[in-house]
Amino acid sequence: MDAFSMGLIAAMGALATVAGASEDIESDVGSQSNPNSQVQLAAQVGNPHRIYNKAISGEPPANALWAATAAMVAYTLITAFQMPALFALVAGASVAALFNGVFAISAYFGRNSSQRRFNQWVYLDIVRYTTPSIMAHAWITSFCIATISYIMVYMLPIHHPFPMPIIALIWGLAVGAIGSSVGDIHYGGEREFQNRQFGCGLNTMLSGQIVRKAEAGLRNSIDNAWFCTKFGGPATGMGFGLTVFLDNWRTTVFDPVTQASLAIAMGIFFIIVEVFYNLYIEKSARRKYGPYPEYKGDIAA
Amino acid sequence: MNFDINTIVYILEILVGGLLVGIGVHFVPVGGAPAAMAQATGIGTGTVQLAAGSGLTGLLAAGLMMSVTDNLWLILASGAVGAGIMIGSTMLTGSWIYAYAVGAPFASAKVNYDPITGFSQPPYVAPGTVGQGIPTICFVSGLIGGMMGGLGGAMIYYPLYLINGNAALSAMFAIGIFLVNAVLASWNIQGTIEGFHDPKFKKWPFAFRACAIASILLALAAVLITGGA
Repeated sequence: MDAFSMGLIAAMGALATVAGASEDIESDVGSQSNPNSQVQLAAQVGNPHRIYNKAISGEPPANALWAATAAMVAYTLITAFQMPALFALVAGASVAALFNGVFAISAYFGRNSSQRRFNQWVYLDIVRYTTPSIMAHAWITSFCIATISYIMVYMLPIHHPFPMPIIALIWGLAVGAIGSSVGDIHYGGEREFQNRQFGCGLNTMLSGQIVRKAEAGLRNSIDNAWFCTKFGGPATGMGFGLTVFLDNWRTTVFDPVTQASLAIAMGIFFIIVEVFYNLYIEKSARRKYGPYPEYKGDIAA
Repeated sequence: MNFDINTIVYILEILVGGLLVGIGVHFVPVGGAPAAMAQATGIGTGTVQLAAGSGLTGLLAAGLMMSVTDNLWLILASGAVGAGIMIGSTMLTGSWIYAYAVGAPFASAKVNYDPITGFSQPPYVAPGTVGQGIPTICFVSGLIGGMMGGLGGAMIYYPLYLINGNAALSAMFAIGIFLVNAVLASWNIQGTIEGFHDPKFKKWPFAFRACAIASILLALAAVLITGGA
């Protein structure tokens, strides 16, 4: 381990944190994730809305596509055209953002026009205002992930054997999985249903009754992104940043050639710490919030 | 390539890897879309998505380890630990959102008492839902599942790399075999499961048989195709 590779690991952690946050905001502003089931349902139960709707694929495969596209273009420009790495990564991310724009617009048109019988409109102003924001977030995500792959393949002391596009594909899958497991709960569990009682999940009876009015006027997806940036996005960033940082930190601090078992033991230590942190959160939530007053059973709290 | 005893060992290793992935998916507590609205216990995403995210992160760690050593146990352990870190970080940050943004205590609707901590569950299940958050039992079950996925991914990658020595080709085939087994298993659990304490977990023998058949076919194809390259 030397100071330079430690700096690279820190940079990778920072890039991953930004990538996680922008991935979650991208999925919130485009409404592409599990909570979109409620957006889709809203029109069908008589609540037409102005929320963007581009969930024609799960987040992990979609982000894997964008990250791998960015890395593949960058890799081609670096190896075949000897371009500077930073320029190639920017060009790769731009191509990925274009792919994302095509995906988002065609998904929005397809999804909303298929709900014509439920009185759901296709709003062209929503397409004009929201799509560039979605593309911008996809650009940040794919740039950060392609850069992480570049650092892993070309700059760390032990070069990763996989080529850049495959590493980007795997990190893209991982960031999508984390974004849809972490940040989406803030969007689906809280933002979509701010009109119901706080402190519990969505009651099944309220399915599809999403909030459609904003602080001023009708709510659109830019409003949702504003809200989710406050907690859901940064938490997703922390999740992905922890994954990338801890996983690479242990194999950089401990040389995999001579100290492989120490690197593995350090990983197990991190996992045990996470179990106890989760137990602490569970205990404190139970203590602070207490049981639900509606509970009528005979099991003591 | 020669079809000798080593080839059969490689095929068996891929088979075991595929089975580990298929069974590991049953341990991962996924609540699907309802969990994203804090309507069901577990992680708010799809089974395959999370299993693939964690298992393939393990594959990255195993690939790095395999480039510097031939020791099978170190490679497998590295894959499992890489996957465990990913799924642990995901569940931990997910818990932040359940506790601090949705403001709900964690509860499982499938058991009355958490088998690990002994905490009572039904009083903390919100009305109109089937639990929310990630209680300790689900967290531990998820870690086991994620680590089994990482182990399985490494187990599939190891023989493929020995056959052809091409990391990129082996990784792509490993990702493919991984996803097939994860999808087969998630059909078996029909979208949502809370972990090994869930009654649905008892259905794992069906997935075991399906994954065994699929893995054997895929192993034959993978060994023959990548070996001939």
